[in-house]
Amino acid sequence: MNEHRRLSRRGLLQSLATAAGVAATAGFGAATNLLPQQSQVSGDEKLLPTFTGPAPNPYWNSVGPVVQYPQKFPLVLLTDRPIQLETPRHYFETAFTPNGAFYVRWHLDEIPNAVDLSVWRLSVEGSVERPLKLSMSDLTSKFKPLSVAAVNQCSGNSRSKLQPRVPGGQWGDGAMGNAKWTGASLRELLDSAKIKPDALAVQFQGLDKGKGPEGRGSHEFLKSLDLKDSVLDDSIIAYAMNDEPLPMLNGFPVRLVVPGYFATYWVKSLSFIRVLDKADENFWMKTAYRVPDTPRGNTNPEDVKGGKVRTVPITRMPVRSFIVTPNGEKKLIAQLPVIIRGIAFSGYGSVNKMEVSVDNGKSWASAQLGEGHGPYSFRTWSIAWTPPHPGRYVLAARATDGKGNVQPDEGVWNPGGYLWNRIEREQVVVGRAS
Amino acid sequence: MRYTTVWLIVVFTGFTAAAARLMYAQFDAGQYSQKNSGAIAQPAPPAEADGASYSVTAYPLYPPELAPGAGREAVQSYCATCHSTRYITMQPPLPPETWAAEVDKMIKVMGQPIPEDVQPVIIKYLQAHYTPENRKR
Repeated sequence: MNEHRRLSRRGLLQSLATAAGVAATAGFGAATNLLPQQSQVSGDEKLLPTFTGPAPNPYWNSVGPVVQYPQKFPLVLLTDRPIQLETPRHYFETAFTPNGAFYVRWHLDEIPNAVDLSVWRLSVEGSVERPLKLSMSDLTSKFKPLSVAAVNQCSGNSRSKLQPRVPGGQWGDGAMGNAKWTGASLRELLDSAKIKPDALAVQFQGLDKGKGPEGRGSHEFLKSLDLKDSVLDDSIIAYAMNDEPLPMLNGFPVRLVVPGYFATYWVKSLSFIRVLDKADENFWMKTAYRVPDTPRGNTNPEDVKGGKVRTVPITRMPVRSFIVTPNGEKKLIAQLPVIIRGIAFSGYGSVNKMEVSVDNGKSWASAQLGEGHGPYSFRTWSIAWTPPHPGRYVLAARATDGKGNVQPDEGVWNPGGYLWNRIEREQVVVGRAS
Repeated sequence: MRYTTVWLIVVFTGFTAAAARLMYAQFDAGQYSQKNSGAIAQPAPPAEADGASYSVTAYPLYPPELAPGAGREAVQSYCATCHSTRYITMQPPLPPETWAAEVDKMIKVMGQPIPEDVQPVIIKYLQAHYTPENRKR
């Protein structure tokens, strides 16, 4: 993770530079002028509110405290049991998200602190001719290793932007990450177990357990994919993430990778693969993670109350893009060129066009796309901009994917708080140069 | 020669210390909070004897401060079986009917056995502290 090391070192240098600057002004500046300002900075530092709403969350990330977890850099806390942690914005400066910064979302509270690989096995059972019990070394030696760069995004990423607000994990924009995943082909594994002709779906389960009663969503987390779904051909049982073992909180020892699909299917600490001969009716398929069968999954509270909304399981991620820098925290200087940077991705194929606006979406200019890492990866983009004069500017970013889908400028609403992909904006203040 | 050096050091140190005091007066130093209960122990490097076992330290807890008021204990004992009460404080202010529906979902869908006389206590608590009209923290 050289990328990461560079990043942290730069962060450190920046803080040192800031500290040195403050020290210098404290020592030698005009004391009368500087004293009150500085005490404002240190003594009365403004903190984010402890919650947002009923208006949309106006911040990029969610507002929780920044906390420490095993194998993780400081991340934004949503909940501590089950563990849900969000990735701070600056980690999206690069196409690959460091493992230590990768967001965490568990559904149940009993998750592994330790896994003994001499005991652990991945079982393939159900409607198969040849049930399997595979060790980690079986997975690495008996199946051809495949690698894919793929974005893992929580279905509820950006949920805190919906209006009206909906209950659930109040994610900002950081419930996503991109990694190079390496593992065994799911298709090859299913073929070696010989699926019976009557089979319909394949169900996945990890080592996580909840304290609720058996048979309820509060006890087990189970997800299924249709055996006819072509996404099975792209799916991987990943034992490596960015060329390292998976962090415990991201699904050690192996997790399912379903490129292009929302993360709900990417079952962590995957240990049971069950081939079903009937539809999966468990809570996590039949009730949760469903979206209205409408354009963009959009609906409204009245239609939901009236029972008019037919739903389908959530699948692919709509096209999205994010401005990462400038982030609005500091003033820019008039006439001083800056580079507007960010990332883009789509579950429907590579982003091949990126546009940026500096006038709140009135006019658009093409940004330069960074290196491609395949259709399912983050793609970086950048565009140079010289703020012409002091004032307030609203930057906006709009991506178009390979299927011609363009990010819309309208929000979306559904009761689960899923599928948000509106054009993102960043307000920046430009100061005088002299 | 030696004394000169020592004197120089003493004078320089004095100046630096004075400058530092001046500088530190600008900061709030040594602020610690009792609330930081989420510390995690640093793991020792792995030993060969660990073999095929892979582990991390215990996961820290960050208990939130629920609004004081009637029903708080009921919420803490019944709602925290499966999840921490951060699930409550994380939410935006929600309308009273949404809180009633959430509690109903926890009982009927998730299967949490909340006694019938406690159910209204929990719903009333959430409605008294976590709606757009009354949420404070």
